[in-house]
Amino acid sequence: MSENDGRQPLGDVIIEARDVVKTYDTGVVQVRALKGVSIQVRRGEMVAIMGPSGCGKTTLLNSLSGLDDFDSGVVLINGEDITRMADDRKTEFRAKSMGFVFQTYNLLPVLTAAENVELPLIVSGTRPRQAREMALDALDRVHLRDWANQRPSQLSGGQRQRVTIARALVNRPAIVWADEPTGALDSQTANEIMDLIVDLNRSEHQACVIVTHDPKVAARCHRTIHMADGVILREDSQAVMVAAAAGH
Amino acid sequence: MNELFGVSMNTIAAVCLVVTAAIFVLVALIAWRNPVMFKMGLRNIPRRKAQTALIVVGLMLSTLIMSAAFGTGDTLTTSVTAEVYDILGRTDEWVSWDAENHPAPPEQQVIPLSTVEEWQKQFAGDSDIAAIVPIQRESLPVVNTRTKLNYPTARVVGFRTADAATLGGLTDLSGKPVTLSGNEIAVNKDLAEEIDAKVGDTVTLYEKGEPVAFTVTAIVPAGALSGAADPSAKHGAAVSFETLAELTGRGQNADAVLISNHGGVKSGMDRSDAAVAKFKPLLRDTNYEITPLKKNLVKFAELIGAAFTTVFVVFGLFSIAAGILLIFLIFVMLAAERKPEMGMARAVGAKRRQLVESFLAEGMGYDLGAAIVGLFAGMGVTFAMVGILKAFAGDNLGLNLTVTFTLRSLVVAFCLGVIATFLVIFISSWRASRLNITAAIRDLPESHPVNPEAATWKGYYRAVINGIAALALPLGFSLFFFRAPGMMLGAPLVAVGLVSPWFYALRNANVAAPRERRTNEGVPRWPWILGLVLPVVGWLLILVPYWIAVGLVVLVRDRKPAALPRWLQVAALVVWPVAFIAVLLQTWRTQVAWSAGVAAALGIAGVALTHGGLDHNSSFFFLLGVSLLGLWLAVTLRYFGIAERLSFTAVSALLLVIWYMPSSVTEPITGPLTGGIELFFLSGMVMVTCGTFIMVYNADIVLPAIASLGSRFGRVVPALKTGVAYPLTSRFRTGMTMAMIGLIMFSLVMMAAINTNFSALFLNSDTKGGYDAVIDVNPNNQIPDLKAAVENGGGDFSKVKDFGEVRVADATEAEVGNKDGFKNKEDDNGNRVVAPWSPYTVFGVDPRFIETNKVTMKMYAKGYASDAQVWQALAKDPSLAVIPAAVTVPPQGFGGGGPADLLRLKPVEDGFEPFQLQLHDPGSDKVTTVTVIAQMSESADTFFGLGTVDFATGIVIPEQTFESAFPDAKGQRFYLALNPGVDAKAYAKTLEAAMVQASANSLQDLLDEQQAMQNGFILVFQGFMGLGLIVGIAALAVIASRAVVERRQQIGMLRAIGYQRSMVALSFLFESGFIALSGILLGLVLGLSLAWVLFVTGEFGEETKGVGFIVPWLNLAIICGIAFVASMVMTFLPARSASRIPVAEALRYE
Repeated sequence: MSENDGRQPLGDVIIEARDVVKTYDTGVVQVRALKGVSIQVRRGEMVAIMGPSGCGKTTLLNSLSGLDDFDSGVVLINGEDITRMADDRKTEFRAKSMGFVFQTYNLLPVLTAAENVELPLIVSGTRPRQAREMALDALDRVHLRDWANQRPSQLSGGQRQRVTIARALVNRPAIVWADEPTGALDSQTANEIMDLIVDLNRSEHQACVIVTHDPKVAARCHRTIHMADGVILREDSQAVMVAAAAGH
Repeated sequence: MNELFGVSMNTIAAVCLVVTAAIFVLVALIAWRNPVMFKMGLRNIPRRKAQTALIVVGLMLSTLIMSAAFGTGDTLTTSVTAEVYDILGRTDEWVSWDAENHPAPPEQQVIPLSTVEEWQKQFAGDSDIAAIVPIQRESLPVVNTRTKLNYPTARVVGFRTADAATLGGLTDLSGKPVTLSGNEIAVNKDLAEEIDAKVGDTVTLYEKGEPVAFTVTAIVPAGALSGAADPSAKHGAAVSFETLAELTGRGQNADAVLISNHGGVKSGMDRSDAAVAKFKPLLRDTNYEITPLKKNLVKFAELIGAAFTTVFVVFGLFSIAAGILLIFLIFVMLAAERKPEMGMARAVGAKRRQLVESFLAEGMGYDLGAAIVGLFAGMGVTFAMVGILKAFAGDNLGLNLTVTFTLRSLVVAFCLGVIATFLVIFISSWRASRLNITAAIRDLPESHPVNPEAATWKGYYRAVINGIAALALPLGFSLFFFRAPGMMLGAPLVAVGLVSPWFYALRNANVAAPRERRTNEGVPRWPWILGLVLPVVGWLLILVPYWIAVGLVVLVRDRKPAALPRWLQVAALVVWPVAFIAVLLQTWRTQVAWSAGVAAALGIAGVALTHGGLDHNSSFFFLLGVSLLGLWLAVTLRYFGIAERLSFTAVSALLLVIWYMPSSVTEPITGPLTGGIELFFLSGMVMVTCGTFIMVYNADIVLPAIASLGSRFGRVVPALKTGVAYPLTSRFRTGMTMAMIGLIMFSLVMMAAINTNFSALFLNSDTKGGYDAVIDVNPNNQIPDLKAAVENGGGDFSKVKDFGEVRVADATEAEVGNKDGFKNKEDDNGNRVVAPWSPYTVFGVDPRFIETNKVTMKMYAKGYASDAQVWQALAKDPSLAVIPAAVTVPPQGFGGGGPADLLRLKPVEDGFEPFQLQLHDPGSDKVTTVTVIAQMSESADTFFGLGTVDFATGIVIPEQTFESAFPDAKGQRFYLALNPGVDAKAYAKTLEAAMVQASANSLQDLLDEQQAMQNGFILVFQGFMGLGLIVGIAALAVIASRAVVERRQQIGMLRAIGYQRSMVALSFLFESGFIALSGILLGLVLGLSLAWVLFVTGEFGEETKGVGFIVPWLNLAIICGIAFVASMVMTFLPARSASRIPVAEALRYE
């Protein structure tokens, strides 16, 4: 069954990377993590990046999202060249147009769920009262409104990841980056989380780039980019990945 | 310095060396037995260099405080001793008239030369006594006719050249022998500098106003033969015996005899006891006495050094306490950092003991480094403190301070630092080793097994008996020492207390397991290895109790009853040593609520201390006991399920109320209690602890208010939010750091507030008594008519508006009836006894003084309502008198009080019934009775003491009564009020030029000097105590550095969602700022409020009662500002490094 059912048609290109090269210098050896990667992602598209450990998936995600610098190449987000942005501008850009979901949740343990979710809004200058309303709304969308005043330590793994998703979506970003969003979860919870991401992608129409090892996760995306040793090997359509996941 | 807190420094040094050696042996044993764990510990040291540097700085403080305190003590002792050796030279003893037991007029207090010559014959060839030198002394004004410079009280000594030769003779500055005859004079170096005298100059001495010219034949060092009497009075000169005898009219009589022992300047003193013992029989039926002068002065020098060291150590206790908190905090944080590693080590087979050993190895690395750095830093601090003292106190100290460190002091400081740090490291390592392996590997919060008896009376009972058994040793001692109820149980409890710790060490070991759980693993060996390496102490206090504990454990391990008989349960609670039997019979590995148990044991100790405090009238023990009871109450409430916030807040508030209560409120219940400087430390510890509990448990209530305040600043809100949220979720770290800063701030604020208010009390505008200048007149050359004397000397008296004369009989010339029966003397056995007369200064004021002074009173007798009324009454009735403020201050009280043998009277209240005092002239044995009608203010005391060496105040009576009561007293002063616009300082100089026998000073100058000296001492103390701030600041930096590591991933996430670098840094700064400000506020509020309560309720002495309290805002702002800015500066580096963490790298970090 195609996951594209009920989705809006894909829009124009929102992420474009050309010839991105990234080298890690450990002082002893130099490791070329990305060897001239070029990709495009369209508005509303869900793209999975797969590959063995150390192939450069997370490095690619970090480079595309502006979390990390790279040596050469160009990354255009919504037509804006992030390589030309100063750190502060890039940070502001991230706060307004991107959301992040990480494997290890990365919630602040000292803040409640609602406070964690409203943090990106407050950072980008939203008034506290409005930020709280939007945070509660986002928690509502991930079915956690009743848990708004709990701290992360009082939530289960799946709930924590849903708080992270709420945080990623609270400022209605154009792009959501997810690095192994189901990596720390059991298969049932992972499925629930992916259902949520897909539902939100349908309703919010954001571009979503997911780094994953899991073919079942990849099968829920429009297409899958396979990487190995710092280069893109091939791209598979959703149908291919659904079949592969079924075989898996 | 030979003693500290009454214990010989040799003993302290020996004990310190043995314990330190044992620590090093123990560490060496660990390295030998377990090199892998040892290396694992050591290799952690260079892992984070900045953190290591911070830890060393934090740990060095105990050593720094100790070495600075000892260094200051050594410096004072050595400097004073050096002065004593310089001045006395080879003079060791001193024979003079025994005025106390044989009152006589001063001119009769002489020793005929014939008597001295008999002694010389008798002791010729003696094995101990080498020389006996009779001398005459006289205090005379001297003028250098060439330079016109004069000195009003030069001490001129006359001796016979042949006698002096036996003492090494008089030599000039180059060591050339000097002989004197006729009108030749040798001027000592100090006097020569004062009057700019050179060889060949003519100087004029005045005896009873008659000038006598002398030729300066040599400039000699200041010593006993050249007029130097003590470090504060060194200006003098030497002439031949015959010349001085002719001048004074004393003929062939000496007024003192110098005795020198065989040996050098220092070693001669060793024969002092023998020399005194030989001389005493000769003096038995005479009017003379022998004093071991050099020995007494050296002993005094050591007392000064020991007193300073003690005060610095006591004041340093705040910093040491803060340092200990820091060490504990650092190691708890290091343990948290290493938790996964330690969990892994445990998982692969490392034992808890091995983790402790690994931590000890690392800790000892820091400890050793810190002790060495601390030792040198402490030496540096000593140089700084002595430098400040010299700069502020200047010549007023009368000492040439030379920084000195004795090897013994340095060794003790080093060892104490090592030992204190080792103990804290040991406890924190042991705590860190008790981890849950799975939780540690996964870096999850520690989970504790559920205690089935939690919050039940049964569980509480178990906790109490275990608490008693574990703390039996201190409990037994406290019961015994304070003779508290249950004192009889003290001795058996001490015996139990020696064994019980070993029982607990074995409690979970295989040897204690029941048969079915026991393996063939033997008895733990480390206690007996520890016992063996500590000779004697270890053998007796470790080995014997350990093997008794092993025996008991083996005896009962398979004989435990299913339930304790009821009678034993009751007996364990009532007869405390029996608690140990009940504990022995507990099921293996039974869970114990230790916090409740320890609190219960401390509660029992609290009862003992409270009782002891009431019994010994000691505020310290009483309040310590009450505070321990408070701790017991809070922990017990928590145990039974009362919310932690409620129980700790309520009990802390209650304790604060008790600590704030003035004695006027508590005295009806407790009876009179007394306390000294130790209360200062205890009050700080308890009040800051209570304040910290209240703050950390309740800060979240005020948090929304802070956040809403911050919301006005838009983008700062998130940084503020996280900056305040983190500290409140780590209550332990936050509380510890807050307490460290709070403790130091408390001590600094208290000191600043007390100093300001005492200065205002003693050194205010009233202190000048309505005058501008004072003239001190040489006692042998009194001035009958001041105006004539000034004008005859070419001075201008028209600048004087008013003046008054005050005659002085000092404490050697006057005595007062010990009316209230204070113990004012020490008998031959060193016991304090009541003697009928107490030495005290008496002032005789002339009618002009009575008319022109503005000296103020603080208490009036019935029938008197103003200062004017009192002075008018004195003018009319010569039998009336006024007493000083200080005479009703108990000796050695907080407000001073001076030596205990001076006169003391019971405090008087306003409107007191006039009472009679008897004045006694020891010279003529005449007794005069006067009636006291008022008590002067503290500023009046300062007025009379200004410019004098001993800063003595005294009883004021009309001049005519004074002259008949003390006919031989020669002291004379004039107080001058000058016309408006006259520069008092400049005018005083012209007065000195006009009257050779007078020293004149501007009262404002004297006040300023006094203030400068006081400020110098306070600055030294504040600086010394402020060193503790290093601890608080280091703690903030350690926490911030640690937080950067701990929160790396969270920082990455914050940056990912849009935190700018500056916001990350700001968040860290807010966090440290919140803790620093809370600590500063805590110390400020508690210190200021306690100082206020103590001051206005008269706890510092009656003189402060009802006096307005001044808040030294500027001083406090500077102290708080320095503390806050320093905190921010130290946090800046970790904050900056947090802001610079690469986002992607941080997100990957695990």
